[in-house]
Amino acid sequence: MPLTPSALVLAAALAVSAAAFVTLRRRLGRPLPAPFAEPRGSAAAGERWALTAAFLPWNKESSRHHAASYAAGLLLHTAIAAMVARLLWSLTGRPLPRPLELALAALLATGLACGLALFAKRLANPALRALSVPEDYAANLLVGAALAGGLAACLDPRALPAFQWIGAALALYAPLGKLRHMVFLVTSRRFWGRFFGRRGVKPAPPVAGEAPRG
Amino acid sequence: MAERMDDAARRALAALEDRLDERTAAYLNACVRCGLCADSCHVFLATGDPETIPAKKAERVARLYRRYHTLLGRIAPRFAGAEDASDEALDALATAAFGRCTVCGRCALHCSVGLDPAAILRFARLMAQAAGRVPKGIQASIDLARATGNNMGIAREDVIETLSWLEEDLRDTTGDASIQLPVDRPGARVYYVLNPRELKFFPLSISAAGMIFHAAGENWTLSSTDFDLTNYGMFAADEAAAGEFSGRIVRRAEELGVEELVVAECGHGYRALRWEAPEWLGRRLPFRVTSFVEVMARYLAEGRLALDPSRNPARVTLHDPCNLVRHGGVIEEQRRVLRAAVADFVEMTPNRLDNYCCGGGGGLLAASEHAAARLEAGRPKADQIRATGAKVVAAPCHNCIDQLGEINRHYKLGVEVKTIAEIVADALTTGGPG
Ligand code: SF4
Ligand code: SF4
Repeated sequence: MPLTPSALVLAAALAVSAAAFVTLRRRLGRPLPAPFAEPRGSAAAGERWALTAAFLPWNKESSRHHAASYAAGLLLHTAIAAMVARLLWSLTGRPLPRPLELALAALLATGLACGLALFAKRLANPALRALSVPEDYAANLLVGAALAGGLAACLDPRALPAFQWIGAALALYAPLGKLRHMVFLVTSRRFWGRFFGRRGVKPAPPVAGEAPRG
Repeated sequence: MAERMDDAARRALAALEDRLDERTAAYLNACVRCGLCADSCHVFLATGDPETIPAKKAERVARLYRRYHTLLGRIAPRFAGAEDASDEALDALATAAFGRCTVCGRCALHCSVGLDPAAILRFARLMAQAAGRVPKGIQASIDLARATGNNMGIAREDVIETLSWLEEDLRDTTGDASIQLPVDRPGARVYYVLNPRELKFFPLSISAAGMIFHAAGENWTLSSTDFDLTNYGMFAADEAAAGEFSGRIVRRAEELGVEELVVAECGHGYRALRWEAPEWLGRRLPFRVTSFVEVMARYLAEGRLALDPSRNPARVTLHDPCNLVRHGGVIEEQRRVLRAAVADFVEMTPNRLDNYCCGGGGGLLAASEHAAARLEAGRPKADQIRATGAKVVAAPCHNCIDQLGEINRHYKLGVEVKTIAEIVADALTTGGPG
């Protein structure tokens, strides 16, 4: 099936975005030399921990003390991943089975609600407001628009072109601002894990007679 | 300020251009400003000031990074939260990095995204240092260590005299004429380095180490030169100075031909020599580097120390120095030692990797312009100590001991602050004061 104009633009935007991310990663900064200090723990174990167990809610204070924000963030990001998957699927030009579309719609609606709640929190909490820059609000709204577009497209196929246009804008914007974190989160966790893993800090060494700690 | 501002800005930006490594850059690009790190930081907990949220402090670097290294920051700086390297921006960067952050790393363990704000703040120090904005007291310590070989300017003759007086005193107290504080001993297996404050103000911790080495039958030595384990170059992110200071000790250890360099109880000194020195010097070290805390734990495990915990009946709690624990990986050894040496050991809450900084880390004790903020930032630690009901706080770090002493007086905690070696020496049943 030939690509529609909106699908073509989306495909091009995704390609540009991917190329921009590859360039950003390559030019990130001075490469780290291999360390000379004798390791105390394992860099690989630290990296594994950072990419797996570190996401568990009990392993960090930020999730233990802020369970609602953690849950909202988790749902928002799960919905974003589903939205991106739906966007990529749209390039095939084939519809999804109706029950799947409806399940996806429920997830996107939940993610959208969580995104809006986090947006409201940013506006309402004085400390968070002090930390925020204008782009934080804009990026949040752009993601919200993409989720809303995805939701509409799941419910009514006529909304698909609009979803693809918003998706293209999101793809082009992502390497420019804070949405970069979608790629650098993984890069950061890998560096973080290797650093604290080598030093024997994470995963924390076991204590005799106690359950393993994070 | 005598020099033109734009020279300082140019140097700070050159540091950002040339010295930013890929790890720190990844961290700068990953922060989503969610603010969930706020209550991980003892400074924010103590003040409630949004300027002290870890990410807000890290933003001092991020704003400059975005302005000069991102497209959005170049074309729409206000929108992107980017800013020019103005005088005010550099002052704020230096205050955040040196005055409102001890680089304790607690936020790093709790960031929701998984980045290390403390690494960004170390980089902020590097930029502030390039811009000539190191606090005067830290710079003075660096200059004195450069000129005299140690950060308190203690002359070699005074070192020898103090150690010989201490040795005599130790023999009198223990009644053991064979006990020694050996200096510059050829063929020693262990080279023990000190914080110069021990020689000047806390000689009991040197005596305690002497008793423990003696009881364990160790072949060890002190050195009359290059004994200073502290590294204010590390605090200032001045890698040339930091490499010079640790290089002196490494060379001396090589001259002495020791197998093990043992660092007296000092968090940053341990981190500098154990973890950073090989990187600053660009080579592996031909000897092992350990903290005295690890050595005491090893002696205990090997049955080389006999301790009677009933000699330390008062309740003891433990302060975990950030550089020893979060940045050094020495987590359980101090606990094993204390459990063997005291009758009533109680943990602070939280503890280990989650313990709060005393508020005096990162060289803050030397930065008198931030003294009031430092005492205020010690409040979470004071609350932690009070909640334990302990009478003694064991702190394996002389920097922490100074700060804990101050918060003890300021917050009227009524505790005694000791090194772990002092507590162990009091419990020794062989070679101890009896
Ligand atoms: S928790 Fe991490 S991502 Fe969130 S504001 Fe703090 S440093 Fe940034
Ligand atoms: S390193 Fe420590 S003092 Fe600095 S921002 Fe993080 S928690 Fe606060």
